[in-house]
Amino acid sequence: MAKKILVIDDEPDMVTFLSTLLEDNGYEIVTAFDGEEGLQKCKSEKPDLVSLDLLMPNKTGIKMYREMRKDAEIAHIPVVMVTGFGKDDVPSMDFKKWIHERAIKAPEAYIEKPVDKDVLLNAIKTALG
Amino acid sequence: MDGSRGNRSFSSSRLARIGEMFKTVAQLIRKFTSSLSFKLSFYAALIMVLALLVFSYHSISTQEENLVNRMVQGALKDSEVIKAAIWNGMMANDRKVINEIINTVGSQVDFEEINVFDLTGRLCFTSNPGTPEQGERPSTDPLFKDVETDTSWRFRHTRDGKSIRVVNPILNSKSCSSASCHAHPESEKVLGLLEVKLGLSGVNRELFKSKQNTIVFAAVLFLLVSTISGLAVVFLVNPGIRRLQRRAARMAKGQYRPEGSTTGLDEMAQLSRAFDQMSRKVNERTQDLDRRRKMYKALFNEAPCYFTVVSRDYRIVRANRTFQDAFGDQVGRHCYTGYKGLDSRCENCPVEKTFADGRSHQSEEIWRLDGKNAYVLVKTSPILDPGGHITEVLEMSIDVTRLKQLQIDFEKKQQEYKYLFDNAPCYLTVVDREFNIVQTNRLFENDFGGHTAKKCYQVYKQRDSKCDNCPVEKTFLDGQTHNSEETWRRAGEDTHIIVYTAPVMDAQGYITAVMEMSTNITEVKRLQSQLVTLGETIAGMSHTVKNILCGLQGGVYVIDSGLTRGKEDRVRAGWSMVKNNVEKVSELVQGILYASKEREPEYQPCDPAKVLSEVCDLYEGKARSEGVQLVRAFDPIIGLYMLDPAGIHSALSNLVSNAIEACRRGEARDDRTVKIGGCAEAGTLFLQVSDDGIGMSEEVKEKLFNRFYSTKGSKGTGLGLVITRKVVEEHGGTIHVESKPGKGTTFTIEIPVQSAGQGDAIRAAV
Repeated sequence: MAKKILVIDDEPDMVTFLSTLLEDNGYEIVTAFDGEEGLQKCKSEKPDLVSLDLLMPNKTGIKMYREMRKDAEIAHIPVVMVTGFGKDDVPSMDFKKWIHERAIKAPEAYIEKPVDKDVLLNAIKTALG
Repeated sequence: MDGSRGNRSFSSSRLARIGEMFKTVAQLIRKFTSSLSFKLSFYAALIMVLALLVFSYHSISTQEENLVNRMVQGALKDSEVIKAAIWNGMMANDRKVINEIINTVGSQVDFEEINVFDLTGRLCFTSNPGTPEQGERPSTDPLFKDVETDTSWRFRHTRDGKSIRVVNPILNSKSCSSASCHAHPESEKVLGLLEVKLGLSGVNRELFKSKQNTIVFAAVLFLLVSTISGLAVVFLVNPGIRRLQRRAARMAKGQYRPEGSTTGLDEMAQLSRAFDQMSRKVNERTQDLDRRRKMYKALFNEAPCYFTVVSRDYRIVRANRTFQDAFGDQVGRHCYTGYKGLDSRCENCPVEKTFADGRSHQSEEIWRLDGKNAYVLVKTSPILDPGGHITEVLEMSIDVTRLKQLQIDFEKKQQEYKYLFDNAPCYLTVVDREFNIVQTNRLFENDFGGHTAKKCYQVYKQRDSKCDNCPVEKTFLDGQTHNSEETWRRAGEDTHIIVYTAPVMDAQGYITAVMEMSTNITEVKRLQSQLVTLGETIAGMSHTVKNILCGLQGGVYVIDSGLTRGKEDRVRAGWSMVKNNVEKVSELVQGILYASKEREPEYQPCDPAKVLSEVCDLYEGKARSEGVQLVRAFDPIIGLYMLDPAGIHSALSNLVSNAIEACRRGEARDDRTVKIGGCAEAGTLFLQVSDDGIGMSEEVKEKLFNRFYSTKGSKGTGLGLVITRKVVEEHGGTIHVESKPGKGTTFTIEIPVQSAGQGDAIRAAV
């Protein structure tokens, strides 16, 4: 049975690209366009993995990640962060550091845009075990 | 011939020998008479003899007086006896008896003469046969004067002291006046005078003997006293004195050997002890003086300065070794020649002044030393003789050439530092412990005026008390350099300043003041800010490009996937993604070019209402699709103004596009509106775009006009508002934003435009 991945991004192009890529690699895809919707889908669809963008309207990826990790029902779902901001772009946006400082369980992988297909697929594969 | 010559030479040598002998004797006598024993014994004996003579004179005078008195008394008694003896003869007028009595008595020892006179002065009887019988009583003889009235006896010595005369009046008595022979009237008181002359040879002999005895006694006494006292001096005093003489002589030679203690109680012993004491003191003093003399001599010779003693004619009398080593032997030469290289006395000569007023003087002189000029500091002081007169002047001279050179170097350095201080391109002030400005540089004086004696915080910060975290105070506390960045407000503008403080110390290392160096870093700050902005711009641009790349990459993948799997919808979707992102690249490049290029607005008469309408028409469809209502809040005609319509269109389009996007991302509502307004008032064109969308935080507002900053993710290029502001500023206007998160945002553009009248004219022209 194909693993279900929830792709959350406010950019429709990005959602289209990731969905197509992951479908082509045998995953079942569910999509959401902001954090709020993402959380709902997490609970309703029970995905095996979440691909999460950081900057989104309504509820940012950061906020959603924090709530997700606090919610016992969905806290175990592995998360692959797909972000346009590398730590070298804007130091204040160093999410990895931010997470580390707050003692929250780190996401399973960080993938920076533009996305390298093989890196992403490997990361997802590793996260799913 | 030879014999006579021999006699002459013999006699002359003999005379010479005799002369020598006399000289020796005279010397011995002089020595003896000047000796203490002679003087002491001589004067002691002399005093004794004089005392004896005075006593003897007094004694002999008394003895003489007593003897004379006794003789007078005897004479009186004798005269009374004679008077009584001759009474009967007189009464019997028997001259023979009278003469016999008188002659008998007169022949007795010591009786020289017995005379009887009547009142007329006629000599009636005499014991001296040589005396004329009938003679006149001498009228000048005071013994006979007034004898008729004064019936008392009288006497007198002779002038030569050899005899005594007694005159005894023969008084009338009843028997006389009634005698039958030759009666004397009763009225006559005195009938005659009896004169008795007595020789004083016995008395004189006795006195002579007495005087002789006295002289002999005095002579003996003199010899005795002088001998005894002389011997006493010789045996008792002289040994002590000779001993003291010997010791004094030794002491004079500088030999201070103690004699051993003298135990006697007499004056000589006391004198000896006193001498010992004095000797010890003198010894101590002499040793002390000697030590001092050596010390002063060493000091004089070895002192690292030149000592010369100069006489009144300006010649060097003495010079110390240091001087001699440096200038050779100059003693006897004038002080102004040689090492001073002058032919006459120096002007302003301190030696002359010291000779004149007896005080110290000093001067700076240039001497010649080793062929070079040497700067010398000269000080003079007078040398006085025991009478307090200035005999010479001591000249102390120190070679201060190195010091002078150091002073010159120091002054030069000081001038250099002063020059640096004054011309440093920052504000330099020196501040004391009370924060008073005590010194300022030229830049400070130019910009702040002279502010010494004012507090630094008054001048720099217009404060009444010292600043918090004051670096001057810190430097005073720890002596370290401190700095702080401060903002001064001058002439309505903020100036960013970095202040460095450094301690100013005195020779002992005590911090007396603090130097404050204030550098204007406003331009640096501006550049820093620009660099930060540039960094953010580049980061933002790369992010935008990255997003576009992502879109293109995604589009290409989706097309590939569609083609591989024969799914046309995927190909179409992928192609759409590629087109969108190519369009974004195009927009981005155009935006960068517009934002970066310096361009002049293309002014033309234009009604802003027309531009506003065009923009509203352009975004009407998009607004509707997003469920946003566009409200046109401007008159159909605002007026004609000289504007760049294309630029204004672009600026407004960006604002309206942003406003619609803000509404889209805001709270989901049915009545979301974007209001577009415009009007012209008092020479200013107001254009306004407001929305009730998502609003902005302060952080977003601060970065709003930064290039490539966007909140729209991959949808925005981050150049829209940059272009808007550029257009507004090119028109000489300003743009303001007011925004609250969740409430909405209002952008207001103000552009100065020509007056309405001119606007009407333009309109007419068009």
